[in-house]
Amino acid sequence: MVRAALTQRRRIGQGPRTGAALIPAASVVAASLLTAIPVVSVSGWWPDFGFLALIGWRLLRSDPWPAWWAAPLGLVNDLITGAPIGLSVALWTAIMILLDLIDRRTIWRDYWIEWGLAALLLMVSESVEWWVVGLAGAPLPFHFILPPLVISIFAFPIAAWVVARLDRWRLGR
Amino acid sequence: MATARPGWSRRAQYGLFFSFVAVIAGLVLGLIMLAVSLVSPSAYAGARGAALDATAPISSALHQVTATVEGLVGGAGDYWDAAHQNAALKRERRAMLQRMVEAKAILQENRQLKAALQLRERSTAAVASGRIVGSSLSSPRRFAILSVGSKDGVRAGMPVRAADGLIGRVVDVGNLASRVLLISDRSNIVPARMLRGGQPVISTGRGDGTVDLRPLEVGRNPFRPGDIVITSGTGGLYPPLVPIARVVRLDDDGAIAIPLADPANASFALVEQPYEPAASVNETEGGLTAAVPR
Repeated sequence: MVRAALTQRRRIGQGPRTGAALIPAASVVAASLLTAIPVVSVSGWWPDFGFLALIGWRLLRSDPWPAWWAAPLGLVNDLITGAPIGLSVALWTAIMILLDLIDRRTIWRDYWIEWGLAALLLMVSESVEWWVVGLAGAPLPFHFILPPLVISIFAFPIAAWVVARLDRWRLGR
Repeated sequence: MATARPGWSRRAQYGLFFSFVAVIAGLVLGLIMLAVSLVSPSAYAGARGAALDATAPISSALHQVTATVEGLVGGAGDYWDAAHQNAALKRERRAMLQRMVEAKAILQENRQLKAALQLRERSTAAVASGRIVGSSLSSPRRFAILSVGSKDGVRAGMPVRAADGLIGRVVDVGNLASRVLLISDRSNIVPARMLRGGQPVISTGRGDGTVDLRPLEVGRNPFRPGDIVITSGTGGLYPPLVPIARVVRLDDDGAIAIPLADPANASFALVEQPYEPAASVNETEGGLTAAVPR
């Protein structure tokens, strides 16, 4: 009995799921689709789920998908959320490039640095969206985007946790 | 771009190079698409409509679930507090009976006055009626998803209203669903007038669920908290006499108001024909862009 309890968990038959390489991208599309839930938001302060999933994956691993996949993923997000088409395509691809550059220069990382980096990326994303929306005919005062930004920053740890669980599941660990 | 230095393998080096080219191409393509969608917003109407159709079944199916859950929670809450609610309702009913008698008198008076003025109330037939099944959750823009589309006769530019008041206008149409620009969106400008006094005002969305009201004539701030603002029919897009919003706060030369039709609680929304279809294309009176369909 004791010996059975001491032996390690059986690892035979465990391994990456089928299609493990596609699961990160699929989960980003699924996160974008969360916008289709029938909730009517009056203020629009919900976090951008697709973007949270994207940076959650990219900050967890350097290779969740080839970097250029960010462009089609962004297009799907734009089509689903109703943002100006091309906004997420350009922004998400630019963030992939930016994070690759940052990866070459960072020496060590911990959770706080990652959260800070995510906060920075969320701020960049919200500001760019605010600027583009202003160009598209809906100029708002800048302080209007602060509440959703704060909500997104506090939602990032949840997204990162979900992504980490999903990563362990897809790799069979 | 897995690693910075792929080693001596030519294959890995080329792979790295081509993925780099692809990501730069993606960035450039995205910027071009963004520029096109800013310059001509109708360029992607087909793609947007198709995306609406793709997500419409999800929203419509889940809408039943959320409605049921909300109903259950609300029902349980009603039972929980039944005694208090009963007493409060009885009090309210007594007050309402008095108000109803007053209202009947006012209605009669109103009818006589209207007959004297020979006002005609133009009734516009609804094109379609649908449910609001979703909205833009994380955007400075305020859009709602309506469960009717071009199959039901909905076209871009049509005004949408609920029983309580104006909701907005249709901007994107799919076969099964359409996207509505709410009156609380920053780019939605509605020509309006005050119910009390009839002074012309302009309602602009503020992007956070409220609208900003400005009088057309510069001068003393005409608003008072509690004032109701209705559409004036100017510009030809929105029909006149539809309630828009109620003033909650004054600022220096205007007021902030809350829309009377809450898209989150409106069970049904009516899509109507533009008030004067010809005018909705041509007229841009006083720089009002509300009438120009996207």
